[in-house]
Amino acid sequence: MYTVEDQEFIRVLVADDDEHVLECYRDAFGEQETTNHMKAINDLAAELFDPVEDIEDQPKFDIVACNQGEDAVRQAAEAAKKGAPFDVIILDVRMPPGIDGVEAGSAIRELDPDVEIVFVTGYSDVPLEELQRRVPPPMRLHYFNKPLSFTQLADDVVTMVREH
Amino acid sequence: MSNRPTSLPLQTKVSLTLAVLIGVFIVASWIILRQVILPAFDDLEMAAAQSDLKRAEMALQTDLENLEAVTADWAPWDDIHDYVRGQNSGFKRSNLVRPTLDNLGLDFMAVYALDDRLMWAQLLVDGEQLPINDLGIFSPGDAAAPLLTSQDRADVHAAGYVATRLGPVLISSRPILRSDDSGPVAGALVMGQFLDDTRLGRLRERTEVDMHWSFDDEHAAAGTARSPGDPVFEVQDDGISGRKVLADIHGNAFLALHSQTPRSISGLGGRTVSLALLFLAAAGLLVTAFVWIMLRVTILQPIEGLADHMTKIRQSGNLLHRMPLQRNDEIGALAHQFDDLTGEVHNARQALLDQSFKAGKADTAAEVLHNIRNAMTPMINGLDRLGKSFKVADNLRIEEATAQIADPDCTPERKQKFLQYIDASFKHVAGVGEMATEDLAVATSQARQIEGILTDQEKFANVAPVAETLGVDEVVDEAVHVIPQDARPEVDLDIRDGLDSYTIKAHRIGLLQVLGNLILNAYESIQRSKAPAGRIHIEAASETLEDQAMVRLTIRDNGGGFNQNTGERIFQRGFTSKTEGETNGLGLHWCANAVAGMGGRIRAESRGLGQGAEFHVLLPAAQGG
Repeated sequence: MYTVEDQEFIRVLVADDDEHVLECYRDAFGEQETTNHMKAINDLAAELFDPVEDIEDQPKFDIVACNQGEDAVRQAAEAAKKGAPFDVIILDVRMPPGIDGVEAGSAIRELDPDVEIVFVTGYSDVPLEELQRRVPPPMRLHYFNKPLSFTQLADDVVTMVREH
Repeated sequence: MSNRPTSLPLQTKVSLTLAVLIGVFIVASWIILRQVILPAFDDLEMAAAQSDLKRAEMALQTDLENLEAVTADWAPWDDIHDYVRGQNSGFKRSNLVRPTLDNLGLDFMAVYALDDRLMWAQLLVDGEQLPINDLGIFSPGDAAAPLLTSQDRADVHAAGYVATRLGPVLISSRPILRSDDSGPVAGALVMGQFLDDTRLGRLRERTEVDMHWSFDDEHAAAGTARSPGDPVFEVQDDGISGRKVLADIHGNAFLALHSQTPRSISGLGGRTVSLALLFLAAAGLLVTAFVWIMLRVTILQPIEGLADHMTKIRQSGNLLHRMPLQRNDEIGALAHQFDDLTGEVHNARQALLDQSFKAGKADTAAEVLHNIRNAMTPMINGLDRLGKSFKVADNLRIEEATAQIADPDCTPERKQKFLQYIDASFKHVAGVGEMATEDLAVATSQARQIEGILTDQEKFANVAPVAETLGVDEVVDEAVHVIPQDARPEVDLDIRDGLDSYTIKAHRIGLLQVLGNLILNAYESIQRSKAPAGRIHIEAASETLEDQAMVRLTIRDNGGGFNQNTGERIFQRGFTSKTEGETNGLGLHWCANAVAGMGGRIRAESRGLGQGAEFHVLLPAAQGG
């Protein structure tokens, strides 16, 4: 996580072979587009109504998306080389035709022992114990089944990084 | 199916081996008999020939010794002594007469005085009396005369063979002495016998030897005789000819004694060898035939049966086919082990098929899960985003703004800003509506994608499973296990004999599910009807359906049965005669589809409620089944 002008940013790498899913990641982890109407509403609400509650500043996400395991390993290596490693790497397990997410996660773990690795998959024929063995340590490994709310996942990612 | 190039069949190899063995045995027997046994007969025959010649010689020698004995009996005698000395004139009258020669078996006899003067002699040839000098051996100039007539010593005498002008003779000469062998020597007594045909005949009778003699000096002295006395034998086709040259009184080769021994021994040996060979050959052939039959019955036929059994299994693919070989020996054990092995291979194959089936299903399920969940992810996130947008809309404080505008204390400027707020809020809601439309479009698209995935799976569902050759008995045996174990005593399960003679082409797991379902239905029908003696019959029969050989499997129960109306709908989708909660099988609709997928048919019959039911499953017969 890094900070720019008091705004925290979480670096997230996402790898999934389904472009629709990647789009969902971008939507969930990207900055919410604020329309002119919404801006006007917020400005007028601030002027006309009493404040409802204090909203905690939420970190933003610096997201990089790719659709193959090899790309994910390469991105992670380059980031580590630049001294700006990812905070969280989200991997699909099945990403044909290249290496699967488990193999990619194992390679990434060798590059960065501290990165939080999250497996998000529609189906995995690799048991969780096998994942924990191949991509240790267990406390840096997370597993979610699709379909899931990526908005909720984004909140979980923030929690992971803050508890890290 | 490829056939290996066949070398000689095992039976031919064994037959050839036995033929070679008997051939070697016969040849070896022939060699042994010809080279060892038959020469022994020849040796025996040669010994007989030697014996014959010896007997002939001994017989001749005996005659000579007899002649010597007679001479030795007469020569030392006082009467003849006195006569030679002129002191006994009566001796001549009483003793020197022809009857004496006849009695003594002599052909001639001569008495000489000491001065070689002939005192008395008599020569008989063919009964006729001839002068003694006709012999030509007693004249002073004859070579033998000194030995025969001039006996002047008491201890000297002569005997042997001598040639005379009248033929060869046996001759013996002794000095004439006193009866007590005392001298003085008065003269010489000579006695002789012709070696003529009469004597030869007597010798043949006595010795039983085919003998004769020859006096050709050249022939007797020459030939193969190294010296007088060495016998010579010549093997001829008709007998063994033996010859021995005897010496005359002077020690010269004189008489060739011949014996002819028939080759009866070697002939007997040859016949014996031939008979022995024939017997051995016959015995060998009999033994070989016996061994061949034993080998064929005990080894070859079972091995051929085993090979046929293996070929049948390979051709039919039915690994549960059992070899009908009831033996406790090694071949029986081999057959049982082979059957056990094929049984284990069958089980392994079934396990592999089951595992492949499950693995295939697992792979398919995994792929479907993966694809559907991936497709659901954008849909859920779109709906999630939509929910968030509406949540923002819910938070709009339009009602509160409207109330403020209606408030008379609200300033116009403030009212204007509330109106702006309401306007912006409605525009935002309109934007949320547009976004919702887009998100719903995405959700619709994803739903269609999911439907596409399911449609793809439907194509796979239509792929017919691989049919394999199955033994009906095996499938039925496996399927009846669906009946709960504790219910077995209540149901008389009658599996008719002969199911093992039918083989079918079907998908094993599917068929097991079909049969299991039908058997379970029958069992449950019996239970529901509360029939006192539940009975399920399972039988098989051949049938032809549209020119195709089929096997009909019938499962008959004495359960509740069904009426005509039910019979018409029994295979329809969703139909069941069970109450809710009782249904635990796949359903007859599924069974009908599964059987149809295997190229078969299914039909149900019942005479009515309470009359039991019959389900007939027709399946394609396997080739050769």
